[in-house]
Amino acid sequence: MSRPRALENIRVVDFSWVRAGPWATRWLGAFGAEIIKIEWPENERGRLPSTTTPQKLEVNLNTSGNFNDTNVNKKSLSLNVRSAKGLEIAKRLIGISDIVIENFSSRVLQNWGLGYEELCKIKYDIVYVSMSGYGHTGRHHHYTTFGPVAQAVSGLTYVSGLPDQPPAGWGWSYMDDTGGMYGAMCALTGLYHRNMTGQGQHIDLSQMVASVPLNGPALLDFTVNGRGLRRAGYPPGNRAHWPGTPLVNNYRGPTVAPHNAYRTHPGEYNDWCVIVCYSDEEWQRLVQVMGAPSWATSPKFASVAGRLQHQGELDEQIEAWSMTFGKYELTERCQAAGVRALPVQSAEDRVERDPQLCHREMYLPMEHPALGLHKVQNAPFRLSETPASNHLPSPLIGQHTREIIEGLLGYSHEELRAGFADGTFWPTKRARFAYLEEMLQ
Amino acid sequence: MSDAQPLPGPLAGLRVLELADETGQFCGKLLGDLGADVVKIEPPGGERNRQVGPFLDDIPHPERSLSFWYYNTSKRGITLNLETADGRQLFRRLAATADVILETFRPGFLASLGLDYESLRKQNARLIMCALTPFGQTGPWRDYASSDLLHMAAGGEMASSVYDEADVPNAPPIAPGGGNAWHMGCHFAYMAIMAALVYRSVAGQGQYIDVSIHEACALTTEAAIANYIYRGEVLRRQTGRHHAAGPTPRTQFRAKDGTYVCALVAGRLNPKYVKDLADLLDSYGMAGDLKDPKYQDPAVIAANTSHIIDDLVANFIAGLPAEEVYHAAQERGFTWGAVRAPEALLDDPHLHDRGFWKEVEHPELGRNFIYPGEAAIYNGAPWRISRRAPLIGEHNTEIFCVELGLSRGELSVLAENRVI
Repeated sequence: MSRPRALENIRVVDFSWVRAGPWATRWLGAFGAEIIKIEWPENERGRLPSTTTPQKLEVNLNTSGNFNDTNVNKKSLSLNVRSAKGLEIAKRLIGISDIVIENFSSRVLQNWGLGYEELCKIKYDIVYVSMSGYGHTGRHHHYTTFGPVAQAVSGLTYVSGLPDQPPAGWGWSYMDDTGGMYGAMCALTGLYHRNMTGQGQHIDLSQMVASVPLNGPALLDFTVNGRGLRRAGYPPGNRAHWPGTPLVNNYRGPTVAPHNAYRTHPGEYNDWCVIVCYSDEEWQRLVQVMGAPSWATSPKFASVAGRLQHQGELDEQIEAWSMTFGKYELTERCQAAGVRALPVQSAEDRVERDPQLCHREMYLPMEHPALGLHKVQNAPFRLSETPASNHLPSPLIGQHTREIIEGLLGYSHEELRAGFADGTFWPTKRARFAYLEEMLQ
Repeated sequence: MSDAQPLPGPLAGLRVLELADETGQFCGKLLGDLGADVVKIEPPGGERNRQVGPFLDDIPHPERSLSFWYYNTSKRGITLNLETADGRQLFRRLAATADVILETFRPGFLASLGLDYESLRKQNARLIMCALTPFGQTGPWRDYASSDLLHMAAGGEMASSVYDEADVPNAPPIAPGGGNAWHMGCHFAYMAIMAALVYRSVAGQGQYIDVSIHEACALTTEAAIANYIYRGEVLRRQTGRHHAAGPTPRTQFRAKDGTYVCALVAGRLNPKYVKDLADLLDSYGMAGDLKDPKYQDPAVIAANTSHIIDDLVANFIAGLPAEEVYHAAQERGFTWGAVRAPEALLDDPHLHDRGFWKEVEHPELGRNFIYPGEAAIYNGAPWRISRRAPLIGEHNTEIFCVELGLSRGELSVLAENRVI
C-alpha cells in the first residue's frame, strides 16, 4: 500500500465485544492502526448469537455477517485472560501498545489486575478508553446497558413518536453506533494529546451519559425556560409542530410546514418520501412542482402560519399528489425545482438504489474466508493524504494468534503449541477450526 | 490542594476556524469543549441559526436562541463577509494561523472565492481543512437541498423506527427528533479531523477532508445493512424496540405512573434468568407462579414465554412507578431502564456524582444557566465549557486588532463597509 496511514505504527489492544466497542476500533483500524482483538471462544459476545449468517451457511463463530462488517481491519488473538499465563501475555502486549480499549462492566479490568494504575506500570503513557454503560465513577457505575436501555434512561427514546402515544423509540441500538463513535473519538483525542504532551490518561466514557448531550437544546429549554418535553403535542412525529397544540420549537430546526413523510407509488412498506419547505419561496416552488393545483393556491396555505394551522389538510393534499409518483422520481422532480425532498430508504434501497451512495462507493465487496464475497460498509470521510480504507476482512476467531504470539511477542513455536495444549490459546476441550490446526504444524 | 491553574483540555493550543451552519456547529463545540480555540466566523449580522428557537423567555432575538447557545459553547465569535475582497484577505491571514478549518458551505463555494484548500495550504502546509456537507463534494446528489428529516429518511433511520400496527395503525415511519442527523455527521467529522491531527503530529503535514452527512447517517443503523447484505432481509419497524425480519416480543411496558419501562426480557429467558426474575417479582409479592420449580425446565420456559412477558412482567411493571422498576431491576443485575423525558435527567444522582451538569455564566444577562456536560471524563486533560456561545462579533476587536494588528480606525472602516 503506497499511501501513508493516519495511525501508522499505532497498536490497539482491543478487549471490546458486542457492538459499541468493536464499532469504535473498526474506525481506528480504518485509519491504519493495528487492532489486536483479544477474544475467548467460551465467553464471546458479538460473533454469537448470530442473526446475520447467510441462510446457506452453518451458524458458528466465524459466520456472522454483522460481526464481519463491525470488525473489518482487525486481527484476532484467542487468549484466556482469566488465566495467569494469559494475563501475563496480555500485559506484554499492552507494554508494546499505544491504546487499550474495552467495553466491559465498570470493574472487570480492575478485577483482572488491569486497572489504569496497573496499565501505567506496564506502559507509562498508555491511553486507556473504558466504554462502560454508566462509566467508572458515579453511584450507578455497576448498572448495565444495551443500546435500547441507554436510549430509554437518557431521554433519547422519548424524543421519537406521536403525541399521546407510547414513545416510538429508535428501531436499533443507536447508542451502540454512537457509543462506538465516542469510543473512537476519545481514543483519537487521547492519542493526539499524548503525542503533543507525552502524557497518557484514562478516558471514562459512559454509553448512558453520552446520550444525554444529544438532547442539548431540549435540556436548555428546561433549565432556562422551565419547559419540559412532557407536554401537549410532543413528540410531533415527523412534523416540526403538531397542529392544535401550543406553538413552540420542537428541536429539529425551524418550525415550518410542510414537514412530513408522504406515501408514494406503489404504496408498499417503504414507499415514502419526505418533503420539507423552509420558506414561502420553497413552498411556492413545491406548488409549481405539483402543477399549481387550485387547493395549493388557496390563501390559507400562502403563509407559514396558515400552513402550520392547516397541516392536516395540507398533508392530505400533498400525499394525494405524492402517491402518483415513485419515491425516486418524486425526489428528482422536487430537487430539480429546489424543493427539499428525499426518499425513505431501506437497507436494500441504500445498497442497491441510492445513486449517491453508489457514486461514492459506499459498499464495496470484500472476500472473507468463511463468508465469501460480500459488500462491506465504507467510510463517510475522504482524507486526501491518508485515506481510510477497509484493508482486512474481519478475523476468524484466533486467526492471528501465531502471528502475534510468535511474530510480535517473540515466543517460540513450542511455546505456542504448549499454550494450545494448556488452554491458554484455546479451550482444551473445544474442537479447533482447521486454520488453528494448521497454525500448530 | 493548591490554587494551580486548571489542567488544559486535550486539544489546548489548537486554533480552529469554524465556518459552519446547523450542520456543523456541533463539531466545533466538540473541539472547543475539549480545549481547542475555536473561532466561529459568522456573516455580518450573525449566522442564521441564531433565528432558531426556542428562545430565552420565548423572546425571539439572535442573542437568545437556546439552540445556538447549546451548539456554540467554548467558541470565540467574529463576523466576516467572505464575499468582499477585504473579507477574503482577512480570512487568508487567519487561515495562515489556523490548524483546522471546518466549513459547511455548498460544494464549490469557497473555491469560487479563491479560498479553496489548495490555495490556502500554500501559506500553511500544516493546515487541515474539513468540508462537512450533506452529500459530500462529488456525486449526483451533491447539490441537493437537505434537512435533518430528509437525512433521517434517506439514511435509513426512518425505515427502522415506528409503532407496531397494534399500537398505532397506519403510522408513517418516524424520524426520532433532536437533530441527530447533524450529530451523526459531526461525530464522523470530528473523528476524521482528529485522525488528520494525529497524522500531522507525526508527519508535519495537513490535508483536506471531505465528509458526507448522508453517508454518516447511512452508517448508523446498526445491523440493518448486514441483514440485507448477508440474508436479503428488509426489516420491519416495531414500537420501542429493534427492527426485525419477523415480529419479536415487546420490550416496552407501561408503568403505574403512566410512563414506560424498557425491559429486555425476550431472548434472555434461560433458567437462571427466570429464577432471578422470580426473585425480583417476589420481592414485591408479584411473582405469580414463576417460583414454581417447573420453570427451571427450558422447554417449560419456552412454552410460557408469552405468559412470563405479557402477564407477569407486564403486571409487575404496571404495579410500580417506572423509576422504582428501573432501580430495583438494575440492582439485581437486569439490564432494564425507565423511559424518561430528558428533563428527568436533571434529578439523576449518578449524573450529579459525575459532575455532569455545568453552570455557565452569561455575563451580559447577569445570569448563570445549567448546561449538559461531557460524554466522557478525560481524567488527564478535562473537558470544560470555557465560555457561553459568542455574541455577534463579540471578539472582532480581540482578533482583528489585538491578534491581527488592525487599528481601531481600520476596524471601523470594515464595519462601515459590511466586511465585518
